Amino acid sequence: MSKQLQFKLVLLGESAVGKSSLVLRFVKDQFDDYRESTIGAAFLTQTVTLDDQTTVKFEIWDTAGQERYKSLAPMYYRNANCAVVVYDITQAASLEKARSWIRELQRQADPSIVIALCGNKADLAARRQVSEEEAKKYAEEEGLMWAETSAKSGEGVHEIFTAIAKKLPTTTSPSARGGARTGAAARTGVDLNKQAANAPGQNEPCNC
Amino acid sequence: MSACPRGASRSLCKTRFHLEYLHLQILSVISAEQLRRMFERRMNFDLRRLLSGAEPLMHSLLTRIEWDLAMSTSSLHCLKVEPMLRKSIADALVPTSKIKDILYVILVAEERVITLVRPKKHSIHPSDLHVLINTIHAPSIMNSSAAASWLPVCLPKYNGSAFVNAYVMFLRRDAEMQPSQKDGDVESSPQAGPTTSSSVQSNVPKPSREICLMCVSGSADFEAVRSWCDTASQRLTNDGLLLALSDAMDRRETEYTVADLGIPGLRHFVYKSRPNVQVTMPLFEDPYDDLKERRRLITLYQRLYDAIHAKSGQGSTLKLQYIRTERESVMGWITQFFELYIALSPRLPKSAAINAANAVARWVQKEDKRLFLRDAPVF
Repeated sequence: MSKQLQFKLVLLGESAVGKSSLVLRFVKDQFDDYRESTIGAAFLTQTVTLDDQTTVKFEIWDTAGQERYKSLAPMYYRNANCAVVVYDITQAASLEKARSWIRELQRQADPSIVIALCGNKADLAARRQVSEEEAKKYAEEEGLMWAETSAKSGEGVHEIFTAIAKKLPTTTSPSARGGARTGAAARTGVDLNKQAANAPGQNEPCNC
Repeated sequence: MSACPRGASRSLCKTRFHLEYLHLQILSVISAEQLRRMFERRMNFDLRRLLSGAEPLMHSLLTRIEWDLAMSTSSLHCLKVEPMLRKSIADALVPTSKIKDILYVILVAEERVITLVRPKKHSIHPSDLHVLINTIHAPSIMNSSAAASWLPVCLPKYNGSAFVNAYVMFLRRDAEMQPSQKDGDVESSPQAGPTTSSSVQSNVPKPSREICLMCVSGSADFEAVRSWCDTASQRLTNDGLLLALSDAMDRRETEYTVADLGIPGLRHFVYKSRPNVQVTMPLFEDPYDDLKERRRLITLYQRLYDAIHAKSGQGSTLKLQYIRTERESVMGWITQFFELYIALSPRLPKSAAINAANAVARWVQKEDKRLFLRDAPVF
């Protein structure tokens, strides 16, 4: 008997590591050489068919990587079943950023959240600054899924999302989670004036 | 067209107006409150870091402001739509009482407003709307493959210290339209040098043919907003309203030309309904389909605007300004109910200009339900 499961997935990571490109490859199997920065967050869906007659529909929030949006991230990961934290293998600093996202997820997100660490731009291995060993070791220590991908060539993209789909619980009904999320999300609602305090970037120290 | 004090130079006023709008766009990204705090902490704070990724918004705003007469007249620009269709669409977009903190529901096509549903107590300031329209047409949103975007945005005139959220859904995208931009091929114009003509034409702002549903909410509960927007867009589809609108756009019924008015010598006009704070205008046709010509006309309109605004107190009932150049004659006319700017053949006498202005005003008032958004539902 076939069944369809539905999960919420959030993409996090520093700006320009290729989050939107990764999603575009996954959802449309396309790649643009030049992409403008994401503003706010983009919502996409994609369905993955697993071997055993099961399909998994991902509801994806592709978030903007800029610092000023950082304080909005909890809105997206709070109800997420899985998170893909992306870094750029040619930028060592982007792995540091990924680590800080993972720490935040481990502290603040639902404890059952499935986290995948994803080293993108694998096609640029010649300019690699992050070794596979280093990232893999870190992922193992933290109990994360890990893969390198290239949104440009498509390498590893479908595989990582499928691996996540397989790792997500097939027994607990995701619709039950869906029911729970409304309450949780409603709590995040704030009146307009109070929301100013939640403004993006507000908690960020001036790093200039 | 910011009101320009007499004596101040036109270019100075124009620069000031552009800077003011740029400031509003920056505030939409980081809010007045944050900006104030940043500069309190450090006078020499480099704003570029905080604005990174938002640069395309600034660039598109500056292009837009050069050409968009709704911006320069501080007005809304509505899409010409049959009144029944506009009403049915608006009715389909009134939020249910279950969903909280909705500020505006706006349907936009061709970068113009079809309807705007709002709470009784809040109207929208035109510049907030222009900042929103500019934002949703950013390439990263409009050209995205995403089903929707969720944008924290500060509407400076509404509340400069708070962020609201805009849920943005393109119900139809530019690319999905039949190719029709190609009908005026450069090669087909005999006298124009192809290279100069094409280089000029390439800068003319392209009309975008998208349909976009935008829901601005004070709440951060995007799941609630998303599910409501999904339902609303389904309703537009199921009731055939989206198709009717899309067809009207494809048949070019959402635009009009001066020929529709049948006024001899009339080349173009801009009519602002003052009570509605809305403008309407025909397409820019020959000679104003050419970028340089159009820029010249817009500059003339701006001169008229400055003249009739700088001189007139709000209570005055009638002010006229007439300018004749070698290429055209233009006239600006302000009354309690409207502002009108018309461009005519320079060969016509001034008396003909006045007759033409009267005829335009009559025509617009007759068509006003199609041209303007009136009695949009409030909740």
